Amino acid sequence: MEGYDVVVIGAGNGGLTASAGLAQKGFNVLLLERHNVPGGCATSFCRGRFEFEVALHQLSGMGTPEKPGPLRMMLDNLGVLDDLEFVEMDDLYHVAMPDGFRLTLKTSKDQVISELQEMFPHEKESIERFFDLVYSYANQMLAAFYFKDPDASREKYPLLYSHAFKPAIDVLDELFSDPLLKAVVSVYWGFLGLPPTRLSFAYLAMLFFVFIEFKPFHLKGGSQALSNGLINRFLSSGGTVRFNCGAKKIIVEDGAVKGVITEDGDHIPANHVIANASQVSTYVQLIDPENVPNETLREMRGRTLSPSAFVMFVGFDCEASQLGITDSTTFLMANTDITDRNLNRMQRLDIDDELMVLSCYDVADPDFSPPGTCQANIVTLKYGDPWLRVPPSDYHRVKYRCGEAMLRRVEDIFPDVRKHIEELEVATPLTHMRYLGHPNGAIYGFEQYTKDSLFFQPGRFSPIGGLYFASGWTGDCGFQSTLEAGLSAANSIIKKPNL
Amino acid sequence: MKKGIFQEFEGYSKIVEEIEASRRYGIDYSVDKDSPEQYINLLHPPRLELRVSDIIQETPSAKTLRLVSTNQYLPPFQAGQYIGLFLEIGKIRTTRPYSISSAPNQTGYYDITVRRVEGGLVSNYLLDDVESGHILQSSGPAGNFYFNPLFHKKTMVCLAGGSGITPFMSMIREVVECGLDRNIYLFYGNKDLDDIIFHETLKAISERSENIHYLPVIENPAEGYQGHSGLITGSLIRETLDHLEDKTFYLCGPQEMYEFCIPELEKLGIPKRKIRKEAYGPPARISDYPGWPQEIKAEDLFTIKVDGHKTLKGSAGEPLMVTLEQAGIVVPSLCRSGECSICRVKILSGKVFQPPGTLVRKSDNQFGYVHSCVSYPLEDLEVLI
Ligand SMILES: Cc1cc2nc3c(=O)[nH]c(=O)nc-3n(C[C@H](O)[C@H](O)[C@H](O)COP(=O)(O)OP(=O)(O)OC[C@H]3O[C@@H](n4cnc5c(N)ncnc54)[C@H](O)[C@@H]3O)c2cc1C
Ligand SMILES: Cc1cc2nc3c(=O)[nH]c(=O)nc-3n(C[C@H](O)[C@H](O)[C@H](O)COP(=O)(O)OP(=O)(O)OC[C@H]3O[C@@H](n4cnc5c(N)ncnc54)[C@H](O)[C@@H]3O)c2cc1C
Ligand code: FES
Repeated sequence: MEGYDVVVIGAGNGGLTASAGLAQKGFNVLLLERHNVPGGCATSFCRGRFEFEVALHQLSGMGTPEKPGPLRMMLDNLGVLDDLEFVEMDDLYHVAMPDGFRLTLKTSKDQVISELQEMFPHEKESIERFFDLVYSYANQMLAAFYFKDPDASREKYPLLYSHAFKPAIDVLDELFSDPLLKAVVSVYWGFLGLPPTRLSFAYLAMLFFVFIEFKPFHLKGGSQALSNGLINRFLSSGGTVRFNCGAKKIIVEDGAVKGVITEDGDHIPANHVIANASQVSTYVQLIDPENVPNETLREMRGRTLSPSAFVMFVGFDCEASQLGITDSTTFLMANTDITDRNLNRMQRLDIDDELMVLSCYDVADPDFSPPGTCQANIVTLKYGDPWLRVPPSDYHRVKYRCGEAMLRRVEDIFPDVRKHIEELEVATPLTHMRYLGHPNGAIYGFEQYTKDSLFFQPGRFSPIGGLYFASGWTGDCGFQSTLEAGLSAANSIIKKPNL
Repeated sequence: MKKGIFQEFEGYSKIVEEIEASRRYGIDYSVDKDSPEQYINLLHPPRLELRVSDIIQETPSAKTLRLVSTNQYLPPFQAGQYIGLFLEIGKIRTTRPYSISSAPNQTGYYDITVRRVEGGLVSNYLLDDVESGHILQSSGPAGNFYFNPLFHKKTMVCLAGGSGITPFMSMIREVVECGLDRNIYLFYGNKDLDDIIFHETLKAISERSENIHYLPVIENPAEGYQGHSGLITGSLIRETLDHLEDKTFYLCGPQEMYEFCIPELEKLGIPKRKIRKEAYGPPARISDYPGWPQEIKAEDLFTIKVDGHKTLKGSAGEPLMVTLEQAGIVVPSLCRSGECSICRVKILSGKVFQPPGTLVRKSDNQFGYVHSCVSYPLEDLEVLI
């Protein structure tokens, strides 16, 4: 069997940029993907007249051509920018509660501050201070780590030293007294998977910072267009991809990678493997146990699986405005609870009062769905384990029960939705498990506890020679981070001496 | 652990303690390593091994094959879904979808009911060569043609043509056997009376059950036939149903039936969102399809270069997938109707015809991916599988 310089396992974001980056530099790369399309989460599927976006709600780090963000520059370097058309969203988010509370935050810092101040006049100064804190923290963080200041010190970057490991809730409690304001300002926790009691302020601050500085984006054709664009680059640089072909085994000899065996039984010699699959499945399923160092398993033991998601994809036979949907991103908030009780909500099978986000891509891009129609992607985070306890024969019934509860929550805010449904599909944690191959269908890799951040964990590296990781399991999650993770893994191989 | 300024950050030592504790009491990922996958396989097995336990002659041209699992387990399905049979007939490896005609509450077997297609490869094989005890391979249940309680109406109006009765048979059986709170009107079109699959069963069920209404429609009945004749028309539907608003319409049958019946429903003012149709294979004669370029004849032959090395000849009137299968090249397939996208391949050069309405992603279009089960060569092609 023909050998390759590198075999990449999985064509999710991380696998795609790793492959494209390596092929661009002349490496002979084979990309294996179990599914029939590239993208992993970053994909779409068709039902009737609609093409449903699976995962991308808001793309971070793009920036405009005039003020490019890190992601735009990276995609430009990979040569995919010309094939894609990005669409800027004009709102950060809208928050809607069943009691009639509505608030839209636009995307500039000043607007965000003044909109919040108008709604919460009694906390005027704290709001100002909060965003100052977000910005100062982000700038210190970038100076120290992104621009790698060799003389970083506590004196130079006091906020970094004091706030990097601080739970978000501490900052919110110090500054604000109105529970509604706290909930509104920290609602992005829903994109990160841990409530503010558990999430570090650093994550929340960086997310605000990138979305305000570089704006939230989407793209024509959805995230599948990005995945297809990356594959296209990869192929035109001489890469080889096999769809419908998973990796079954990574062959390790004397502590180093020697090749990969595919599901079809092909043996592919290679000295380097980049796994876009999770560390869990790579170490416990793909590599024989005698080749996995104990320390690696011990290190993984300390980490927990992030939630998966319950998602509803709905195609409507009318325009968004007719349903009352005016913003691209709407958080449906049933209460102002931002405590650990949200962990219990995510642990429970049924849907009741959890935080949800509803994205309607047609608001920013009227061509997204066919003329006269629109679509919504509604998601709430749910751990996978309760779903693994549903007897298979009950699966469809439970899925509809949860779907019904979710639809009611949407009706609380947009009462006419049910009259206009033309297509509707539901994805559960089990669906994510099936399509991503990740344990418990986790969509954000390991949970994003501070203790599991890149400072403390091996990230893309492995004690096994020639093995690297590139995915949401190596550190931060989301499109921007995983796309970057792929290039980092590629660079680890590209920059290796004597290759 | 790595070194860096972060070791001086406030809270650092607490986190280190936390890490130690979590590793001591954490999750051992190496035990039970296969269990999530095993669970998924109970819902979506990549492959089923089925044994034909019984064969029931339904009409002169149709048989039901009763299929049991060789490992005693059959995954649950929703009434209306199909399985894809994986077959090797002669030298050709191919697949075909067949809707399950038994009810989902019947967990001991799947029935598929196959009608003969003149000159058809698989239907003739299943009807003539397969006997009790024969082992067949299939996909797990698939497809999106089923009752969705989240937005479908409780009253279902089903329009079936020929072998398109099978998904409805499953739905009707489920509604009756499980006592579901749903009403079904079944308009069932056939060429002649002895073509009707499940005629006696359907008659008996509808006599017994108030909520099941069975209306056979015979296209060319013998002289003196008393029932409905001709095609399933809008006026027949209008006459039969009191009102149309609180109903969802389902169609399953040959392409010609959709071409006739969907405009009929639209004329009745039924909105698109209330019309559901099952994929039912590619059009019979693609060169008659609206949008087909007139200068190309179905018999026109083109050269197809596959993955840069293999070269074959394929005719314009034949789906790319069929040409590939005949040459021994297997592209995975399931719905064979352009819907599921499992058969997508990249066209590096040349042009193909895909019937309008094929469910291809926008960006697949942009980057040259097509669904090979419904793609017809219009020029010489270079294809990447
Ligand atoms: C519902 C939902 C909403 C989201 N919303 C956002 C958002 O708004 N903004 C944002 O930035 N992020 C969002 N995310 C997160 C983001 O999509 C993910 O973090 C990111 O796409 C993960 O990329 P990845 O590189 O880790 O690979 P994944 O997407 O996890 O893909 C892994 C790939 O590896 C393949 N694979 C696994 N095992 C094997 C094997 N053995 N052989 C071959 N292939 C294998 C899988 O088939 C899959 O294609 C969302 C995710 C989901 C599911
Ligand atoms: C979702 C679904 C459910 C179905 N359920 C049932 C059912 O319950 N009962 C039933 O009897 N049938 C059913 N069918 C139809 C069934 O799958 C077969 O198409 C049918 O049995 C004829 O197959 P064949 O191999 O005998 O005919 P063939 O003519 O050999 O093949 C028919 C199919 O094969 C391909 N094909 C092979 N050769 C050619 C060619 N020369 N030109 C064009 N196309 C060609 C096409 O994909 C075509 O649709 C279903 C189809 C679909 C899509
Ligand atoms: S087999 Fe489903 S689209 Fe071709």
